Amino acid sequence: MKKFWLVLANEYKRHVLRKRFIFAILSFPLMVAFVILISFLSARTNYDARPVGFIDSYHILTTTRQVPSTGEKFMPPVEVFQFPDESSAASALNKGEIQAYFVLSESYMSNGSVTQVTLDTPSNNASSDFGHFMTYNLASNLSGAVANRLVDGKNLIIRSLDGTREMSANNWISIILPILSGLLFFIAVNVSGGYILQAVVEEKENRTMEILVTSVSPTQLMGGKVAGDLLVGLTELTIWVLFAVLGVAVAPRLLPINQTIVIKASEILLLAATFLPASILISGLMGAVGAMTTDAREAQQISTIFTLPMVIPLWFISAIMLNPNGAVSVAMSLFPLTAPFALPMRAVFTTIPVWQIIFTISLLWMLAVLSLWLAGRVFRIGMLRYGKRLSLREIFQRA
Amino acid sequence: MSSIEVREISKKFGSLQAVDKVSFEVEPGEIFGLLGPNGAGKTTSLRIMLDIFKPDSGSVSILNGPMSEEKKNLIGYLPEERGLYQDIQLDRCLIYLATLKGLSEVEAKKRIEEYLVRFNLEDASKKKVKELSKGMQQKAQLITTLVHEPKIVIIDEPFSALDPINTQMVKDLLLEWRARGATIVMCTHQMHQVEELCDRLALINRGKVVLYGSLREIQNRYASQSVEVHSSVPIPADLPGIKAAEQHNSGTLLKLGQGVTSQDVLRALLERNIPIDQFEIALPNLDEIFIQVVQETGAEE
Repeated sequence: MKKFWLVLANEYKRHVLRKRFIFAILSFPLMVAFVILISFLSARTNYDARPVGFIDSYHILTTTRQVPSTGEKFMPPVEVFQFPDESSAASALNKGEIQAYFVLSESYMSNGSVTQVTLDTPSNNASSDFGHFMTYNLASNLSGAVANRLVDGKNLIIRSLDGTREMSANNWISIILPILSGLLFFIAVNVSGGYILQAVVEEKENRTMEILVTSVSPTQLMGGKVAGDLLVGLTELTIWVLFAVLGVAVAPRLLPINQTIVIKASEILLLAATFLPASILISGLMGAVGAMTTDAREAQQISTIFTLPMVIPLWFISAIMLNPNGAVSVAMSLFPLTAPFALPMRAVFTTIPVWQIIFTISLLWMLAVLSLWLAGRVFRIGMLRYGKRLSLREIFQRA
Repeated sequence: MSSIEVREISKKFGSLQAVDKVSFEVEPGEIFGLLGPNGAGKTTSLRIMLDIFKPDSGSVSILNGPMSEEKKNLIGYLPEERGLYQDIQLDRCLIYLATLKGLSEVEAKKRIEEYLVRFNLEDASKKKVKELSKGMQQKAQLITTLVHEPKIVIIDEPFSALDPINTQMVKDLLLEWRARGATIVMCTHQMHQVEELCDRLALINRGKVVLYGSLREIQNRYASQSVEVHSSVPIPADLPGIKAAEQHNSGTLLKLGQGVTSQDVLRALLERNIPIDQFEIALPNLDEIFIQVVQETGAEE
């Protein structure tokens, strides 16, 4: 057993101490941060802070109070000024004092007809801020709290019939958590599986294999490799999660995110319970492919047979959201290769029967153990077949 | 008690019978040569001995029993296909492989430092393996084979990629290990190295053992009826009982007729007062025996 730990430690250090690992670790969160930053910058670039004007010739509004500030500093709502007639508004527009003006039509109360006049393409915020202004002032005869509620809109909470699950429509993190973590898992499992694949193929190619198998049993060797590379993947995931936590803590201070992010422990537990056996399963299969094939490129190609199905649930997101208990959703959450994405995703939208969770996780564990056994066997038979691919028939013959 | 007993092992890959009922024994403290042409089944036999492959039939006993994980620590193996991790520093690579043979990291470091000095590799210890020359990598691999002081050393083509100086160093090393009582199995094509180093040998052809025994026994078995004479004067061709006389190296090879012994020839030479510097029964070298046996067994198939 000591040699298992030696192989594990060597495999772990071999990858983690490389510069390219540190680069890979940092590149993903930096890329995500960059994309988010670019998105906000892009939104900010399109934001125009200049006021807007309006002409209310038919005295539709009885008050013209500004919408109270929400403390939003990144893109605060623009001020709305009333003009007595269209010529004075047009003059202000031409001078650049306002970015646009709105003309309320006579039929506004019946059909909401408004004309917007601008010199250039109107900014996104102009019409939405004016919409809020109208709602707020039309509700001025109601109490301040009611007016504020009308402006803020609803917070829809969706609850299952038995009351065991509920979800706030505003808590979008709950929806994207399984997708985001699934994607992270997919990347991490591909990276660590890729390491195993690469390690086995490399050891075959550089002939280290023959030395290794005369020092340590194939089972311990393969087990140590899988565990070491899984640990590499786990290190990556942990660092990414730390970055995510940091991001969640820091982002609301820097960016216009105005809601409390709630992540339930049960969701994290389900993610972990699904991801762990699934990672072992994929790593075992990657190891087997590495031992079976003749070079790294061929191994990568073959491994897509089981890495590609993992992302199939992403194509069916709408089906899972709209019908989480439908045949497609259930089948994908039970099928081992699609379960890591589909099961946690379904859990957001429905109460999954306990038997299905137990079945999926048990199946994943069984297949994980089987994949390790298979990897050990293929490894033993195929390790010294330089330049010659192993056939499936040979794998299941006596070694 | 033999260190290694190989009993009638057979192994088939698809339709190819790689090894066919191969048997031999290797005694403690001897250098045993495993010879044969390319594809004869030598490496497969070695891999079965080392438990890398399971035989279809037959058995192998290593140090009085089947191979075990503990026994793997008592074996040093230098495979024909040399291999070390290319992308890591030499010392790290050697230390890892030594710890897999049961050495503690501290002990492994200490011994490897000594070997690196002995093999003139101390300046290369911090270099990546891929930066080393083929000969240096070969020496590094020898360190991996010997660093844990194995009881059994199995080496496949130990002299390939080595210059004459390093070849001599490896020979000295093998003799030193034999003197320490280690059992050495050597696979090679270089017959003169076998003649120089091996106590006993087995020749495998087409998966079967076709020659087995001590070097001297085998040479005697294949000795032709000839004697080699070195003299300061020409050897007369009309000596009684001589079929033919050929110049051979710096001497004369005399081929004897039916029923004529080497004693008869020596007596005849002395009777004619021919000065004799050297008189010996001409033994065939291993190259000749190898070619003869391989051709014979090939023809039989």
